[in-house]
Amino acid sequence: MTDLTDTGAAAPQRYFISEAGLRALAADLLGAGTDVIAPVAVQACQSPSALATAACLRPGAAPVDVEYKALGDAAELDLGRDLPVLSLKQFFLPDHEALCRWHQRGLEVTVEEVPTTFSPRVVLAAKPCDSAALAVVDAVMNWDYKDELWNGRREASTIFNLACPVIDESCFCTAVGSAPDDVKGADGLLTPVEGGYLAEATTEKGRALIAAHPARFEAAGDPATAALVRQAEDERAAARRRVAGNLEIDAASVRNWIDTHFEDPLLASLAIRCNGCGACSSVCPTCHCFDIVDEEEGVGRGTRRRCWDTCQAPTFTLHASGHNPRDDQHVRYRQRINHKFSIYPLRFGEVLCTGCGRCTRVCHAGQDLVEILAAIDIAARRPGEVAAVS
Amino acid sequence: MNELRELARKLLADGEVRVVIGWEAARRGARPMFVTKPDGADGLIFDTRCVHNLVTYLNPRRDHVAELGKIGLVIKGCDAKAVAGLLREAQLTRDDVVLIGVRCGGVLEENELPEAVALTPENVAPRCYGCDNREPALVDYLLGEPQPEPPRPAVTIEERVAALDAQSLEERWAFWTAQFGKCVRCYACRQVCPLCVCERCVAEKTQPQWIESSPHPRGNLSWNITRALHLAGRCVDCGECERFCPVGIPLTLVNRKLQQIVAERYDYKVGEDPEIHAPIGDYRLDDEQEFIK
Repeated sequence: MTDLTDTGAAAPQRYFISEAGLRALAADLLGAGTDVIAPVAVQACQSPSALATAACLRPGAAPVDVEYKALGDAAELDLGRDLPVLSLKQFFLPDHEALCRWHQRGLEVTVEEVPTTFSPRVVLAAKPCDSAALAVVDAVMNWDYKDELWNGRREASTIFNLACPVIDESCFCTAVGSAPDDVKGADGLLTPVEGGYLAEATTEKGRALIAAHPARFEAAGDPATAALVRQAEDERAAARRRVAGNLEIDAASVRNWIDTHFEDPLLASLAIRCNGCGACSSVCPTCHCFDIVDEEEGVGRGTRRRCWDTCQAPTFTLHASGHNPRDDQHVRYRQRINHKFSIYPLRFGEVLCTGCGRCTRVCHAGQDLVEILAAIDIAARRPGEVAAVS
Repeated sequence: MNELRELARKLLADGEVRVVIGWEAARRGARPMFVTKPDGADGLIFDTRCVHNLVTYLNPRRDHVAELGKIGLVIKGCDAKAVAGLLREAQLTRDDVVLIGVRCGGVLEENELPEAVALTPENVAPRCYGCDNREPALVDYLLGEPQPEPPRPAVTIEERVAALDAQSLEERWAFWTAQFGKCVRCYACRQVCPLCVCERCVAEKTQPQWIESSPHPRGNLSWNITRALHLAGRCVDCGECERFCPVGIPLTLVNRKLQQIVAERYDYKVGEDPEIHAPIGDYRLDDEQEFIK
């Protein structure tokens, strides 16, 4: 597949694009038949009818969520600061997708393959933690088996991130090697500045997108735009400092400590309040495990699908014999931590986490990855101290 | 609060229980706390942020909690109904647990706050409206002062159910299709439910596969209807399924509608007396049976 981490030669050429210009770009793309995926504000309780909308308004709660959607109209593009509920993963590894279809007539079975090439599409205003996650997962998707569906969607997509102002106290991207202005896994970055966005492409695909829409991008070269560049850089640096204040760990020590402390009471007792619901995996941009199921759709025909799965469910490791090597929630939770912060980096060189904080926010039982990583970091760096996760 | 901490300390010090499960104030607001040493009891709190139905930790599926030994559980009046449910269905014996009741005047809908705040029509959990059990009776200890009625929320669950009921079949179908369409089948609703006690959920059966595991509309409809019907006449309305749903499906509306139907057809309301059988586990000659043709 193409090199998705190409960062170009010298400092990237910068452009200015107004907010109206960005919406016009989305409209241009849609008009040309290109799918545009972007954050969209959706009613927290969706409904096609106004009455149900009024009926489902939850008092005291924000009535909208932000979700990544394929835009129907450029006006839907939401350029606010909210983090979409589900990550961008769903557009690369959908929650369910057909792998093949079968038809059986008598003894004859025919298998219908699914297409593995996709028409070009553009992702606008992706969160940096979400694009970085794609680059991290690329490694396993191209390990012993090249996942054609994943790679096909990756190759078809041009992604422009929107520099993130940092959402809240559960963000920790800088602690795991990413940043709120990361372009990893993406093809370019938009940074909010007065009156619009500063745009920079970091890959060939990104440069091609800008080059194809000269009416929307204005080269940033004169003194007025030089001031905007400085503003953008200052704000990005401030965001990096803000998120670093949430958590700082030594990822290498954490990795090695986990690898050598499988039976440590800290690691083996992290999940007392965990319900094992797996919502953390569903919302995680890097969790990529799936289950393959054959679903019959009438006599002699059906579809083989893969669906998201989670190591937090007992059935994930249940053997046909009835034995389950991960037979309680502590052990299943340890697997989650171990895979993300030790197994994956030892095998692929990168932590399987981009610090988006969704797992912590979605957990109403209070499993808090920021707190857990801080505790493991203390255990790893200062073995004498007692690391406390209550 | 001191009363609660002292009691927990004493129960642990006397060896009457091995763990007290209550709430603590953490980085992101209140959350469940597991106290195993008398000194740890100082971290316990009870205020309007203590939303969680901790009875889920008595669920027989929680091996890793059961391993700790005898549990002292802090419960609100609504939570006591879930304990009664487990007793009613022989999932628990009363002596297995020490119940510490706290008088409750309602909890917040959004509880992830650094400090407790007073309840208002805007912030109260809608399920608290019309609470009939601010003082649990099933308990071994009852703590706190008598509490006033929770405020009436801006929109009640009944009003929302009524607004949906007033719609045409097509509109309701469109509403629920859109809501269940969001489901990613993480099963958080099931995992957190104190009364989803099956060791092997029907959703996990593959031979035959009753419920397709793909989160496509057909599979999602099967799952969500099955979940709801298995809770009919059992659901205690704690709202944890909706609260834990990562994609915001309004499961409370389904649960409340089922309660209304069960009340109407079987004259039954889930309560705190484990001796009163639920319709799903009971047979009476005068049960409605006109649907059997």
